[in-house]
Amino acid sequence: MATQLSLDAVCACSENVVARTIEGEVVLIPLIAGIGDEEDELYTLNETGQAIWQKLDGKKTLKEVAVSLAEVFDGPASELEADVLGFASELTKRGILVAK
Amino acid sequence: MSKSHSIEIKEFPLWERLKAKSVPLSFDMEITARCNCNCRHCYINLPVGDRDAQARELSLAEIGDIAQQAVNLGAMWCLITGGEPLLRPDFAEIYTGLRRKGLLVSVFTNATLINEDHIALFKKHPPRDIEITVYGVTRETYERITRRPGTFDKFMRGMNLLLESGVRIRLKAMAIQSNLAEQDAIADFCRAYTKDFYRFDPQLHLRFDGNRECNKDIIAERLTPEQIIALEQADKERMRAMQKNCDTLIKDEFAHFGCDHLFHCGAGNGSFNVSYDGMFRLCSSLWAPPTLYDLRRGKLDDAWNHFVPKVRDMRSTRQEFLKTCRVCPLVNLCLWCPAHAHLETGEMDGATPYFCAVAKLRATTLRKTE
Repeated sequence: MATQLSLDAVCACSENVVARTIEGEVVLIPLIAGIGDEEDELYTLNETGQAIWQKLDGKKTLKEVAVSLAEVFDGPASELEADVLGFASELTKRGILVAK
Repeated sequence: MSKSHSIEIKEFPLWERLKAKSVPLSFDMEITARCNCNCRHCYINLPVGDRDAQARELSLAEIGDIAQQAVNLGAMWCLITGGEPLLRPDFAEIYTGLRRKGLLVSVFTNATLINEDHIALFKKHPPRDIEITVYGVTRETYERITRRPGTFDKFMRGMNLLLESGVRIRLKAMAIQSNLAEQDAIADFCRAYTKDFYRFDPQLHLRFDGNRECNKDIIAERLTPEQIIALEQADKERMRAMQKNCDTLIKDEFAHFGCDHLFHCGAGNGSFNVSYDGMFRLCSSLWAPPTLYDLRRGKLDDAWNHFVPKVRDMRSTRQEFLKTCRVCPLVNLCLWCPAHAHLETGEMDGATPYFCAVAKLRATTLRKTE
């Protein structure tokens, strides 16, 4: 059973996924079988997802990512923490992100 | 609301935007011109032991470098083809190297060399698909074409290994004199495994290397126009598609009337090919010397952004061509194109009577059945 992520977790792109930025959009391309629910899939991120993705550098904790985003979006980090945690949890479950 | 979206590749919304921006969305890498088969109709099969051809093959590093340049230009798809690509001992490294660059990779193979290592590779790193040509469904027919004893059993073994492993394969066929009597059985065989895909190609073009003896074999294997039409009429799905698109296939008022440009096809629009020795081409069949760009001497960015527009701007002054093929309303039913004209005649604006005869009979048949 997968461990639940906390805001202290540090996440990075799995080595089994290639992230490409094409036409300003982040496209995630699985390299191995078993990522995602179906075969023949790519992943794209919405605007919020892309902003979070670009901050996930494998060094910052999720809490620090939220703080960093708060500076960009000029809002309280506490409101962004749920978004960051939800995003990281979803992509970790799919095998796109790994918690270090 | 979820911040990530999984999207089926065919529905990827970026495709249209990328096409509109003249990005080289896909490319073919012919990683060898050598093949373990010696098919009668083939346009590229050099012998396995051809040392000169082997010495000229792009290295793993060169392939990786060209692929990276393609990725930098926005490429998403790569087809690994040959010759027989599995002949390369470094096939697995080439394949995974392309995948790791974020390319969606397909492979064309005759399947006769597939082994357990390939299966493990494809299961771990799934290809977009693997396309296999079915030359025949009996040993006699298959090996009459490949001219290599034992290849039918190897093909069946390889295909079954792929099927059992769940790797996505697609089967296709060539229709030639040597397997004409078996076409129905070949179609049934292919459709049994790949219902959504099966296609057959009933027209042969000549060899890329211009080998005269091999070209004689190809010409001897060509179906007559009547045989081609009979096959197409027997394939109800194909005929329905042709009838449905009749208006676009036959253009009485051809849009390019009065134009002297050679290229009105899709060559160099969104895709390109790289030969085993590093020659950039606008399409797989285009081998006319003025249309080749050596990637061992230059960069892909230069080839794509500067060389392609020059090639596509090439024009003809041959009146015979400008008054016939250039303005022919049947061009979409015809295998004529500058590339095939060059292979047939040595000139990109040469006439190709065989393709012309097929196109005319196709048009007559379509008009009758409208």
